[in-house]
Amino acid sequence: MTAARIVMNEIKGYHRFIKLMMVLVGLGALASLIRFIFGLGATTNLNDTYPWGLWISFDVVTSVPLAAGAFTIGIVAHVFHIKKLEPLVRPAIITGFLGYSLVCIGLLLDLGQPQRGINVLLYWNVHSPMFEVSMCVMAYTTVLFLEFLHPVSERFGWHIPLRLLRTLEVPFAILAAMISTLHQSTLGTFFLIAVDKLHNLWYNPLLPLQFWLSAIFTGLSIVIFEASLVHKYMGQPDESELLATLTKIIPWVMGVYIAVKAYALAFLAHGELFDRQVMTALFAVEVVVGVLLPFAMFLTRKIRTDKQMQLRAASLVIFGLVLNRFNVSMFGMEQANQQIYTPSFLESVVTVGIIAAHILFFVLVAKYFPVFEHHPEATDYTIPDHFHKIEKHGHGKVGSEA
Amino acid sequence: MSSGTIDFTKTRTFLIDTTKCTGCRGCQVACKQWNQLKAENTKFFSGEGYQNPPGMSEHTFTRVKFKDYQKLGQNEFAFYKEMCMHCNDPACASVCPVGAFRKTGEGPVVYDAKKCIGCRFCMVACPFGVPKYEWSKAFPLVKKCTGCYSRVKEGLQPACATACPTAIAYGPRDEMVREAEKRIAAKPDRYYKFIYGKEEAGGTSVLYLTHQPLDELGFKKVTLRPLPSYTWQALRLVPGIFLTVGGSLSMISWFQHRKDRIRAEEAEKKAAESTRKEEN
Repeated sequence: MTAARIVMNEIKGYHRFIKLMMVLVGLGALASLIRFIFGLGATTNLNDTYPWGLWISFDVVTSVPLAAGAFTIGIVAHVFHIKKLEPLVRPAIITGFLGYSLVCIGLLLDLGQPQRGINVLLYWNVHSPMFEVSMCVMAYTTVLFLEFLHPVSERFGWHIPLRLLRTLEVPFAILAAMISTLHQSTLGTFFLIAVDKLHNLWYNPLLPLQFWLSAIFTGLSIVIFEASLVHKYMGQPDESELLATLTKIIPWVMGVYIAVKAYALAFLAHGELFDRQVMTALFAVEVVVGVLLPFAMFLTRKIRTDKQMQLRAASLVIFGLVLNRFNVSMFGMEQANQQIYTPSFLESVVTVGIIAAHILFFVLVAKYFPVFEHHPEATDYTIPDHFHKIEKHGHGKVGSEA
Repeated sequence: MSSGTIDFTKTRTFLIDTTKCTGCRGCQVACKQWNQLKAENTKFFSGEGYQNPPGMSEHTFTRVKFKDYQKLGQNEFAFYKEMCMHCNDPACASVCPVGAFRKTGEGPVVYDAKKCIGCRFCMVACPFGVPKYEWSKAFPLVKKCTGCYSRVKEGLQPACATACPTAIAYGPRDEMVREAEKRIAAKPDRYYKFIYGKEEAGGTSVLYLTHQPLDELGFKKVTLRPLPSYTWQALRLVPGIFLTVGGSLSMISWFQHRKDRIRAEEAEKKAAESTRKEEN
């Protein structure tokens, strides 16, 4: 009784925006309930011609690279050991963990037999890209969960798990990068089987490599995007100086991506490239607005270090990635003279609910756990850690200077 | 999955001679009976012509497509019996995460409904658009032509081949290919010079002979390479990439941490020296 009242009072105190997110999540949950009662045919506009729709295109194929911030910042901060970037790591891990958990939920909604999902672990088929991605997503969600336990243990003062997690920080970062490399690229391999289905502008054998490269620079852009918004709306310190380190790395990866994409287009395409105007237009917008423009922006020193412009360039990268994944998994798969798939109302409500859930849980986690208060200059990172140092974290004595 | 041990000259194969098809649709009825499939609510002329139902579906594993055309000023029909092609190296079997599809040594590609998780990758992968889904159900499964595996296993012919009065021959693949070639050679005017299925998608267990050019009848133009090879060329690199990424990042991390450690040690040494000097 009292517990419920405390929760209710707490919720009453939330900002209107959070309440709106809660409503959207509720609607999404309701719509997914309808899917389980009346079936996929009744809730979605999927059919035998378009067996995959919005839920695969956005909730899986697009959400996975959008959640790539955790592994990319992990490489930069922990593997390359650029310690000053530490404040960016924790929010990225929260985003990654939420992102992957929601990918799992989206996938379960889309499966015809979600209760048999465990079969993937029972009947291995190493020839299947889907098998590989499901194994990786399960493994990586677990890794992200363990990394997420870091702020949780700090919050509740669990010393032993915290010490263990600190010791495993670098191994986890490397493991995350290994697993992410596999499934980010394999999402591209999905569409290699769609020979003669996916349009030649996107179909080529280097698709997996392109998916991996774009996941890396989008992951870093997401970190910029998120840090800028958190600074703007959640009153957190301005990290644009730290972000400038990331904006220096991004154009390198983008450069390689552009080179690979150009090479694949010129030499590896399977046939006619510019035979359909709509496809050409989609491709042009994706490449010019979503890749070349932000690439040029990140190359300019003034833009790279400017708070406002960083956010704009990063937003363009994210737009480009979303359009690219939709082009590959949805638009490019539509054949000429075929009925066109558009998501149904309920399908869209579910996807909006999933996006809202991401924002909502991020804000709530940030509210109740030390996500931003985590400042490396006040924390001792030498490993191994002595037992009771953690208690003193943030107050006065800092141990041997890291 | 590639089926290394299967002898593809001996797998049972349909030879469907569309020039001999009368459009009686006995095959459609026999298929429904043997597989206990529901009737569909259909409208006449719902598709291109007299064909009914408008397409293959969860209730219809095979269907005769009617194509109207003009010959010497006369209206004529051409027929095309659509069904699962039972590929030698099936795309559906390779992409299925749980291996629910399997190419049998007898020929049919069979589906194990008990394994299926309902991801529909098979439907995306199939170059012929064969697997269909139970869209009306809350927990749907995939449906497709079974090649009458239950009959073939016992030495019978598939239901449609048994019912067909004219057009379907059924036997070992090498014999069917030879028979098709013989027919084309014997009556070059009657046949379009092409055996559809001989090399399509790396070879299938259904072969077609036609009078018209294939695209006019609605045959899909598909790659001659087995489809699983397209994904496997990327997937086979997975273990190597996994270890390379892990190894190189471990090395980088060790190196970077070492740099830091040395820097810290040097600073400490300097500090110790300066304190010693002060003491002196």
